[in-house]
Amino acid sequence: MANLVWLQGATDNGCSISFLNTHEPDVAQLIRRFEVNIAFHPTINPTSGPEAMRSLEPYAQGEKPLDVLIVEGAVQTGPNGTGEYCIVGERPFKELVQELARAAHYVVAIGTCASFGGIAAAEPNPTEATGLQFHRDQRGGFLGADYRSKAGLPVVNISGCPAHPDRLVHTLAAVLLGKGGAIQLDEYQRPLDFYGSLTHDACPNNEYFEYKQSAEHFTDKGCLFEELGCKGPLTHSDCNRRLWNLHSSKTRAGSPCMGCTEPGFPDEYVPFFETVKTRAGFPRKLPLGTSRTTYMAMAASAKLACPDRLKSGKNKKK
Amino acid sequence: MAIRTIELSPVTRIEGHLEFKVEVEGGAVQEAYASGALFRGFELMLKGRHPMDALAFTPRICGVCPTSHSIAATKALDDAFQAEVPPNAHLMRSVLLGVENTMSHATAFYALFGPDLVNPKYANHPAYGELNQRLAPLSGTSYLGAVKARVKLDEIFALLGGQHPHGNCFVPGGITFKPDLAHITKALVILMEAREFVEETILGGKVDRWLEVKSLADVDQWMGEGRHAQSDLGLFIQLGPQLGMDKLGRGPGNFVAYGVYDQSDGQPWLKRGFFDGQFHELDQARITEHVKHSWYQDYDGGKHPGQGETRPHLDRSNSQKYSFAKSPRYRDHVAEVGPLARMINDQDPLVLDLAQKLGPNVYTRVLARLHEAVRTLAQVEKWLHQIDVSKPFYHKPRHPKEAIGTGMTEAARGALGHWVQIKKGVIESYQVITPTAWNVSPRDFMDQPGAIEQAVIGTPVPDEANPVEVQHVIRSFDPCIACTVHLIRGSKELKALEV
Ligand code: SF4
Repeated sequence: MANLVWLQGATDNGCSISFLNTHEPDVAQLIRRFEVNIAFHPTINPTSGPEAMRSLEPYAQGEKPLDVLIVEGAVQTGPNGTGEYCIVGERPFKELVQELARAAHYVVAIGTCASFGGIAAAEPNPTEATGLQFHRDQRGGFLGADYRSKAGLPVVNISGCPAHPDRLVHTLAAVLLGKGGAIQLDEYQRPLDFYGSLTHDACPNNEYFEYKQSAEHFTDKGCLFEELGCKGPLTHSDCNRRLWNLHSSKTRAGSPCMGCTEPGFPDEYVPFFETVKTRAGFPRKLPLGTSRTTYMAMAASAKLACPDRLKSGKNKKK
Repeated sequence: MAIRTIELSPVTRIEGHLEFKVEVEGGAVQEAYASGALFRGFELMLKGRHPMDALAFTPRICGVCPTSHSIAATKALDDAFQAEVPPNAHLMRSVLLGVENTMSHATAFYALFGPDLVNPKYANHPAYGELNQRLAPLSGTSYLGAVKARVKLDEIFALLGGQHPHGNCFVPGGITFKPDLAHITKALVILMEAREFVEETILGGKVDRWLEVKSLADVDQWMGEGRHAQSDLGLFIQLGPQLGMDKLGRGPGNFVAYGVYDQSDGQPWLKRGFFDGQFHELDQARITEHVKHSWYQDYDGGKHPGQGETRPHLDRSNSQKYSFAKSPRYRDHVAEVGPLARMINDQDPLVLDLAQKLGPNVYTRVLARLHEAVRTLAQVEKWLHQIDVSKPFYHKPRHPKEAIGTGMTEAARGALGHWVQIKKGVIESYQVITPTAWNVSPRDFMDQPGAIEQAVIGTPVPDEANPVEVQHVIRSFDPCIACTVHLIRGSKELKALEV
């Protein structure tokens, strides 16, 4: 039996919706097999209003164990530090987070807004929104860099806009199976299992990337990196390895990756649909870890080596 | 400890925060105040950005109905860029929006509205046991079936659009994905599964037979055939009037629909219009937003969203103001949006007959929703068949440096519009009017209450400890917001409940 509280701040609920798409286990199985007690979720809640708010008190006060606190959405601190842009049960949302974070064994930030501020904190950040333990790529955020949950861990960030359901469900599963201590986090406190590789990994356009064959317009065959703004080679996610809704991903559907799992999302990844280039015509932002000279050399020889079947215009569907 | 049964409402009870204050006196609601309690400031964030980036920002206004925002944003840019959209792209967009809206409707009925039918108030009703077995949250047979069907339908999204929520396949000039024939056939197979659920559980018979039902009299006849009366829809048709739902929640009686689901020729499948007892053409220039009762810098009267502004000003000392939602009005009228408004403006014979004979109310609203879901699902199948995978799905438009664009569509819960102004190649202004803003708007410049406020005023509250009537009314609009209703008498709060 594990008590779970799920709070929503500045969010569009996309992460909750995404969570409901979980397979193996589905939501009903998760609750039954892992004996999860969803003590609070704004949508899933058995009680309501002040009654619901009261149901949080024993957790905040430590009378009942709060095994996992999940926060969806950024914490808005505006206007002027009051937090009144987001009111839950007639109180600023931020107060609720503060109280419950103190009592929780594990704190999970679901989605990029809760992790890093995300869309909610996009420039000019009109509501003074921030992530739980990061503000963009800066450690600190709402709870502060030193925050540790009762299990001794910092906030676990399950980023993504929205987060893939597996990333949350299997982080939870690890915690519920007593393997919380074995979760390895990267420098932005994301579990390496899900954020250890790039979106680019396992993208079916990889063969085009390899030979530098680029789609010039949407629906063209080719890689989306050099013209259409794909951030796949700069973004840590398993979108192409894990697949969405059992079938696909953005880049599989010809839409550029937007870097939505990264602390700098959205402002560091705009424009989303076109590639900003240097005067020499190369993408200004290169795949993580490559240098301009090696990339240029690679691109030149890749184009030379490109087999006919992949060349633009020759592989169009009839 | 035993596992608790929780009420799991997959989609529709959420999206933001809404506080609803209802004043009761003499056994009925006297006043109602709907207060949007979350400000996110998208309009402010979009200023100065690349116009295309609106395609990524605006769907994140709502993770429940992101596709409708994607389509509104895409159409605003289609308009601004004067894009030529190939027939295939119109069809793909309509398929994906149709799927999303149908999922939302199913959720609205099963997860939002359904649980109220098993309210203790009805415990003595002969159908109560049966209802419980079907609709109890997370254990009811229909409830679980609907949850499964929803996740399955969502796969169509991934197949044709990459992912849901928040794929990014909608772009001015078309769509980013060119499917193979195998993608189309797979989507059709998933639809067949969805149709099975609809026929088994919702209709207790064939979709095609239901689509022949054109009047109240036809409904009676349909009810007499086969297993229809025992289906979920059949049960609701019996129960709605028995529980008095045809007398509850009339609302303003004006209906706005923007037109939706562009067909291969670019014309909407469901027509746009304004209905106030008569059918009128809809002129979007007559839409305005008011802020007299909203936490924004004041201006007189209403402003068209093309000239609109968003300057938040949270001043709790001004007791006139009580919401972060603005008040959209059409020709200064309060109007309802949603499936009932769409079906009426589309002159759907069944819903028109219901609205004329019974008036707008909780019952007709819910029936219109279910009816539209069945109609849309059948239509999605036709659109899929019309897609020609050998033809283009995208034409690249020009990107003018100066332009204005309007994108109007319909989310499950009603009319959605985006208005963009581009200057020097970047967004100069961007305004969004969501369906929930129409329905849950606070009072306007003339102090007229918003649509749900009006629908709730006058609602009988025979049992203050269990005001299920008020819940029926609010949920019949599918407000898509976690909504706390405070029941007040004088200065005393009697009850607060989550809707
Ligand atoms: S489309 Fe994006 S993710 Fe796919 S291969 Fe190209 S750069 Fe990588």
